Amino acid sequence: MTVYNIYIFNREGTCLYYYEWNRRTDCNMPKYEEFKLLHGMLFSIKSFVTRLSPIDGKNSFISYRTNKYKLHFYETPTGLKFVMNTDLAVENIQDTLHDIYNKIYVEYIVKNPLCKLNEPIQSSLFRTKLDEHVKSLPFY
Amino acid sequence: MSRQNSARADGKKVSSELFTLTYGALVAQLVKDFESDEAVNKKLDEMGYNIGVRLIEDLIAKGNVGRCHDLRETADIIAKLGFKMFLGVTPVVTKWSTAADEFSLILENNPLAEFVELPSGHENLNYSNILCGVLRGALEMVQMEVEISFVQDALRGDDTTELRVKFIKRLEDAIPAGEE
Amino acid sequence: MDKFDGTVRINKKTTNILERPLNKGRNEVHISSFALLFSEIVQYSQNRVTTVADLQTKLSDMGKSIGSRMLDVLVLREKGYKRETRIINVLLFIKTTVWKSLFGKEADKLEQSNDDDKTYYIIEKEPLVNKFISRQKDKGGLNCAYFIAGIVEEILFGCNFHCKVTAHWHKGTTFMIQFDESVIARDKAFDAR
Repeated sequence: MTVYNIYIFNREGTCLYYYEWNRRTDCNMPKYEEFKLLHGMLFSIKSFVTRLSPIDGKNSFISYRTNKYKLHFYETPTGLKFVMNTDLAVENIQDTLHDIYNKIYVEYIVKNPLCKLNEPIQSSLFRTKLDEHVKSLPFY
Repeated sequence: MSRQNSARADGKKVSSELFTLTYGALVAQLVKDFESDEAVNKKLDEMGYNIGVRLIEDLIAKGNVGRCHDLRETADIIAKLGFKMFLGVTPVVTKWSTAADEFSLILENNPLAEFVELPSGHENLNYSNILCGVLRGALEMVQMEVEISFVQDALRGDDTTELRVKFIKRLEDAIPAGEE
Repeated sequence: MDKFDGTVRINKKTTNILERPLNKGRNEVHISSFALLFSEIVQYSQNRVTTVADLQTKLSDMGKSIGSRMLDVLVLREKGYKRETRIINVLLFIKTTVWKSLFGKEADKLEQSNDDDKTYYIIEKEPLVNKFISRQKDKGGLNCAYFIAGIVEEILFGCNFHCKVTAHWHKGTTFMIQFDESVIARDKAFDAR
């Protein structure tokens, strides 16, 4: 199993953080374009999936898979979106994404008064901690 | 005491005396720096807002809180989770308006104002106004626009301390450019 | 704040402030509440000064207003009204009693300078106020622990030990306490008796 990459978006759709571990191909466009298109797609999937749901379907979008990779999606009530791409063998990782929010984002960004909340994350401490955390995951 | 001290030593809690006195030192400084009580109130509200937008993430992450379905649920979480976790007190939620869009939080003990007396000449100072800002900032992050004010304050000789929370509107997600 | 003019608004339901018990003090609040409040204080103060030295003075001044209040409470609650008269005892009081009630632990170390009998050090590896504020290289070594230095200075002052307390980035944070000549002379006179 493996983790390819992670994106963190804020409510406005700004990509606060991007990091890749085992991504082997590039989508051949500038990163900002990729972030914008991904966020737009997630927004559309989320809203249409909810609308399409035959029963009350709030927060029902948690992942999609192609025959090559799986995208996992976790959104907090404050509108932060954690998106992780893995290979197909990885199961539901909502808890893992919540942990990243709780143990890394909140501890090293929210509690650091020097980190602005709505700007891309520069903190090297955050980068180190997230990297350690992801590398220690059983499915890394 | 030893148990509590260990909670402090492992870095989760701090003495409420230190907290109360630190807040007091801040208010005293603001009163020195600003011309009017109103300006101090406004500054405290701004500072509270900055704190609120961060505290809410901590609350949601640690409390594993999902989205609230109605204002009653929100009020409950503010009182039983938010105040309890961050200030160690649980206000009573009461005085709902008939439309269920307004309620009051009654604070028996206000940790910010323990052993505080308002000096005379500051009749318009809302000593604990930072709380209004904290709630405003925190709720805005979960897309609720609210108005918050002190309707009673034990510091001014009222029977109790009462915060009034009025729901204004739900803020909607901005739609990304190019999407409909 | 303005001077208190002596009128006390007595409330029917709540007890008069002077009659409430003082010896509670064991309550606690969440560390995030304190950390975020302190961070707002630092940012506010920062916007009103131009130099790091001024900012540190401002933080120290705020600490002083806390120190004077803590001293009264602690002397009453922990020491049965007794105040320390000797340098070493007052420093131990700060290292243990004061530190414990403010931070829930004793200070890491208390040392005397090797080459100056007026100077003492209290060393704290990670003071509460520096926990969430990373040391900034571009801010000329700003140390927010000046806030705590202010608390210590005022407590010593209140015990009649005139001194200057400064905070330095050394072994974590080191608080340097430099006593007045007169304080040292008085302490030596005690020994001579």
